[in-house]
Amino acid sequence: MDFVTMNILESTMVSICREMGITLMKTSYSTIFNEALDFTCGLADLNGDMIAVADYCPAQIGGMPLLVKSCLKEIPASELEDGDVILHNDPYRGGLHTPEHTFFKPIFVSGELVGYAVAIGHIAEVGGMAPGGFCGEATEIFQEGLRVPPVKIKKRGEDNIEVWKLLLANVRTPRVNYGDLRALIAAVDLGEKGMRGVYEKYGLETVRRNVSDLLLYSERRMRAEIEALPDGIYPFSDIIESDGIDAERHYPIEVEVHVRGGEIVVDYTGSAPQAAGPINATLGVATSAAYNAVLHMTDASIPRNSGCFRPIRVVAPPGTIVNVDFPAPSVGGNTETHPRLVGAILGAMAPVAPDRVMAAEGATHCNFVFGGVDAETQEFFACYDLEGVGWGGRSFADGNDGVDSINGNCRITPVEVYETRFPWRIESLAFNVDSGGAGAHRGGLGYTKQMLCLNDVIVCSQMTDRHLFAPWGLAGGGEGGCGATLVQNAGRDDWRTMPEVYGKASTSRYSNVAIKRGDRVRLVTPGGGGYGDPAERSPEAVARDVREGYVSAAAAQRHYGYDEGGK
Amino acid sequence: MTRILGVDIGGTFTDFVSYDAETGSIETWKNLTTPSEPIEGVLEGLRRIADLGEIGKIRLGTTIATNALLTRKGAKIAYVTTEGFRDVLFIQRANRRSHYDIGWIKPRPLVSRADCHEIPERLSAKGETVTPLDEAAVRALAERIRADGTIEAVAVCTLFSYIDPRHEARIRDILAEELPGLPVSTSYEVLPKWKEYERASTTVADAYLKPVVSDNLRRMKARLDALGVGARVGVIKSNGGEATLDGAAESPVQMTLSGPTGAVVATRALSEITGIRRLVTFDMGGTSTDCSTVVDGAEHVTTDFEIEWGVPIQIPMIDIHTIGAGGGSIAWIDKGGMLRMGPQSAGADPGPACCGLGGTEATVTDANVVLGRIDPANFLGGAMALDAEAAARAVAAVAGPLGMEPDAAALAMVQIANNNMLGALRAVLLQRGLDPRDFTLLASGGAGPVHLADLMEIAGIPAGLVPNHPGQFSAFGFIMTDGRVDRHRTVQQISKFFDAARATEAMTELSRGAAAELLAQGYSDRIAIHRSIEARYLGQNHELELSYPSDAFDEASVADLWARFHVEHEARFGFSIPGETIETVNLKAVAVAVSKKPALPLLPEAAGPAAPRGRRRVRFEEGWIDTPVHDRAALRAGHVLTGPAVIEEDASVTLLKPGQTLSVDRFGHLHVKS
Amino acid sequence: MKFSGNRFYIESYTKCANCGTLVYDDSPEDKARKVVADGATYCSQWCVDWAHEREARRAAAPKT
Repeated sequence: MDFVTMNILESTMVSICREMGITLMKTSYSTIFNEALDFTCGLADLNGDMIAVADYCPAQIGGMPLLVKSCLKEIPASELEDGDVILHNDPYRGGLHTPEHTFFKPIFVSGELVGYAVAIGHIAEVGGMAPGGFCGEATEIFQEGLRVPPVKIKKRGEDNIEVWKLLLANVRTPRVNYGDLRALIAAVDLGEKGMRGVYEKYGLETVRRNVSDLLLYSERRMRAEIEALPDGIYPFSDIIESDGIDAERHYPIEVEVHVRGGEIVVDYTGSAPQAAGPINATLGVATSAAYNAVLHMTDASIPRNSGCFRPIRVVAPPGTIVNVDFPAPSVGGNTETHPRLVGAILGAMAPVAPDRVMAAEGATHCNFVFGGVDAETQEFFACYDLEGVGWGGRSFADGNDGVDSINGNCRITPVEVYETRFPWRIESLAFNVDSGGAGAHRGGLGYTKQMLCLNDVIVCSQMTDRHLFAPWGLAGGGEGGCGATLVQNAGRDDWRTMPEVYGKASTSRYSNVAIKRGDRVRLVTPGGGGYGDPAERSPEAVARDVREGYVSAAAAQRHYGYDEGGK
Repeated sequence: MTRILGVDIGGTFTDFVSYDAETGSIETWKNLTTPSEPIEGVLEGLRRIADLGEIGKIRLGTTIATNALLTRKGAKIAYVTTEGFRDVLFIQRANRRSHYDIGWIKPRPLVSRADCHEIPERLSAKGETVTPLDEAAVRALAERIRADGTIEAVAVCTLFSYIDPRHEARIRDILAEELPGLPVSTSYEVLPKWKEYERASTTVADAYLKPVVSDNLRRMKARLDALGVGARVGVIKSNGGEATLDGAAESPVQMTLSGPTGAVVATRALSEITGIRRLVTFDMGGTSTDCSTVVDGAEHVTTDFEIEWGVPIQIPMIDIHTIGAGGGSIAWIDKGGMLRMGPQSAGADPGPACCGLGGTEATVTDANVVLGRIDPANFLGGAMALDAEAAARAVAAVAGPLGMEPDAAALAMVQIANNNMLGALRAVLLQRGLDPRDFTLLASGGAGPVHLADLMEIAGIPAGLVPNHPGQFSAFGFIMTDGRVDRHRTVQQISKFFDAARATEAMTELSRGAAAELLAQGYSDRIAIHRSIEARYLGQNHELELSYPSDAFDEASVADLWARFHVEHEARFGFSIPGETIETVNLKAVAVAVSKKPALPLLPEAAGPAAPRGRRRVRFEEGWIDTPVHDRAALRAGHVLTGPAVIEEDASVTLLKPGQTLSVDRFGHLHVKS
Repeated sequence: MKFSGNRFYIESYTKCANCGTLVYDDSPEDKARKVVADGATYCSQWCVDWAHEREARRAAAPKT
């Protein structure tokens, strides 16, 4: 291997991916892109293998190889021309869920197809039964928005106008969607141009050889990391609450992590049959979750590309909650079930890799979505919004407070931007004291966002989790606090759940609740589990938590024997 | 009073550049910095000047604020905000530094949560009062702070204060009444822009710095006053302008990035002198490298600075992209057998192996010694003899496991280090839509010129420039600094319902405020105002900056603004959306008092071809080449060299690759062409 | 994965009975690897073997 050229090519390609992301961030319209950064940009070779990627959204990084490969099975390379851009979002063809739109553009050098520039982004409004894409009560894909098979949105550099018209006729916010789609196209244009420059500079053969070596190099590094783990079969199970349709039914997830020499097999067999409601993971999500967990446990300096994934095999039996079959819904699988799968894999590995895992994190993005017609501008608005949760405690540190769950790396939208854009007033944003699980290293805190409705009606839906089953601790650590969603209707004092007020089946997944002017909504996000025996927590850390208000004196006394008067 | 003195107080050295307007002569010198009391190093350097009465102006670049932030040695402060929102500083934006890092620990703000307080008050997104300010609560809080007795400053940031600061101002006034003498920073005064976390973080930093910076500057002023020059001292701000000592103490967050801005200011001046319109700077020292741009006579200003990841300071600063790669970056072999450079650095202690100060690991400097690019006998003008054998040993230790010859390994080390620095160049060029092919690469810092030739090649930059005094380039910039005040404010409006009167009022306030501040600092003439507007398509979240000619907005000027926005968007991002609604976000006014620029001394004309001082073997990609070595001091205007060649001077070495040419202009600048 | 004759839409979805990966009817690569065993379609022999091993292992494990 020519390590020098390889190193240089690698960092050049990652720079190109980063530049694609900056273009996307700067030109897109939805807060989910430009504030939350829920997108990913990468480059693929002719086989659809990911050869470079920039650090944006981890859920999409793991999903990229399968996405591109699935599309290429349908649109063979021979049908691609210079200037084409392919669009795709189908969850049953390698996709993650309907909001996740994948764009890819073939790269031609001297008339020869050499690879692809890829951008995956979360489009906030995709049509379907609820504004904002996350309908907690969907029972079919058709309710989850427009499903787009691999189609050419641009042909030989020209807009495929018929496709544009079809897309934009099926969403509530065509103006915003148009801007977001244009931004995604600008990103793949930039990636294609940048990568073409790389091929022209170094020559086809040099790039091919070095890219192939680069994938091999990452594979070798990954195998070495896995070999350092003791061989064995490590099981873990967890349970996911109601699917939004059936209040009483809950869904076990079962994981067996097989470490065999330099390979890992993640086998989900035994997990629940697929749910009627939208908490199912697609094959892409189950695969991405396994990759995500392994990447969290291994050296972060390994160049991220498909080579990393070669030693990892995923067994996701069809028709289950980890691999949904047509036409069952899947929008929550990507945001909610994904982090639960990652958590289960980390939990499985905890006994043999205690320093590379954490106790359960909040594992939800809260996914509060809403839409309506603005009373002042008469324009339709729709928003997908997410919140942070508490991380799990670790063998060496407390869990982080208020951080996006492990499969995203999204930013929350500032209050001042939120209120300028949407007719809500946010009344508070405050940590949930005592929501971090007790432990030698406590879990991180979740928080509460309280909002007042300023429009006649805002139609709200949600896809969140952990209202019933608390985040688990590890090695003797306690459970983190649960999440909740509560409503206070105008003129009333009490706070009630969605089932109580609107007759919904679930408190955490529901669709199309009409929140009226003067109503308040309170979103409570879960904390993280604790790590290690609380008795081993240092008294200084306990005292600091009480002094700074992360843990109440009463809870500190209960868990840690804290004595307010004493030390 | 004809001398201008630029003083850059760095971590190791304090650099001095003196310009005498009467004689046109420039002198440079340096001495060690006294980290515990930086003024000592300054005073030591001043002793070189016999008659301090000659000095008309001293401009200081200082790291007081930078160091206080980086080492977290600022004041114990209290934070006051809108009821319900004290955790904004702790929740931050809820994202994390990088993926796949289970060990990550979220950064803490510069204030303890126990010292964060909420006050009942609230404005709406339109600036209407939702909850009036509870003044009694403010007074009760003042009482708590008084009783606590440990709080040294207060930061105030309430929601939507950028629209109307009346609540913040009242809180400030009440605290001033109740707690006289306690410094208070309000977010409207520090950064009247939207996004509460970023504004709060910046305001907290200002309060955090106030006691320590004003204390330091006061001591400095006393010592300089004793010499009779205190009133003639200006402190360099992060925007490249200067402030009086008192002005700096009042608004210390403006001093976050002081010293490094000099190199960019100097580059701007060189752009004017040489007529080169597009320059990208590359200032490479021992542990870090700074890159920035000057395009059409203007430096790029950013508001995206972070103290550490996730802790922003959004005041306007010259956009300097710093990476932790320099001459001291260490070579290592990763678990997969790949050669990597840095980010670990040998720094000044133990330093590169060749320095003989105890370092044994191979650094970029060692590789350059092995490659014959740096002459061990003539480093820093011979002031410090290098140990070539130690360098060879260190490089051989890296070459062995790679199965490479030592010189090939050294070349690979330099190539990889160059590629890391290329990342910084990409960040300031390609990531901002600038084409490297239009640029000239300006190399400064002790380590910059030796990498210039390679970087031009890999970055696709066709021209290079090595200025005079590359080792004291920032201090050199200080002799050419202008007075400058940047005022920004969020005035969010959309093109459909654009209120020209509101925009006019805000722009007028900004431009008058900026000019007034300059006047207050003693600048009286040649004040120019540059106005601009940050705008975007409605829904986007990042803005394009468009210049704007006056304070007044009318139908024609606004129509022109929208038209220019579409054109600019197309140029920057490859597409535009005609007819789309445009949103204005921030208005900006920059007041500049243009200082009189020194007339730089001219070099005598060359009388014949340049004669090399000697020759030595230097390793290039092509192999070892017997290469002529020139003394920079012996070069004259009009000299032309053809690569390969090495040009040595006291503080640096310039390398010319085979195929490149170098010409010397009448000021002595070295121009390299590929 | 079986497409309609005109390739306009999917007629039926085929996934490996073990690992759940998509198996395309008209992909030569998929066709070459695919195995039909125990009345089910598998993407490869590896999956048939893995499923058998798992079954045997789980049958042998003591019931808890």
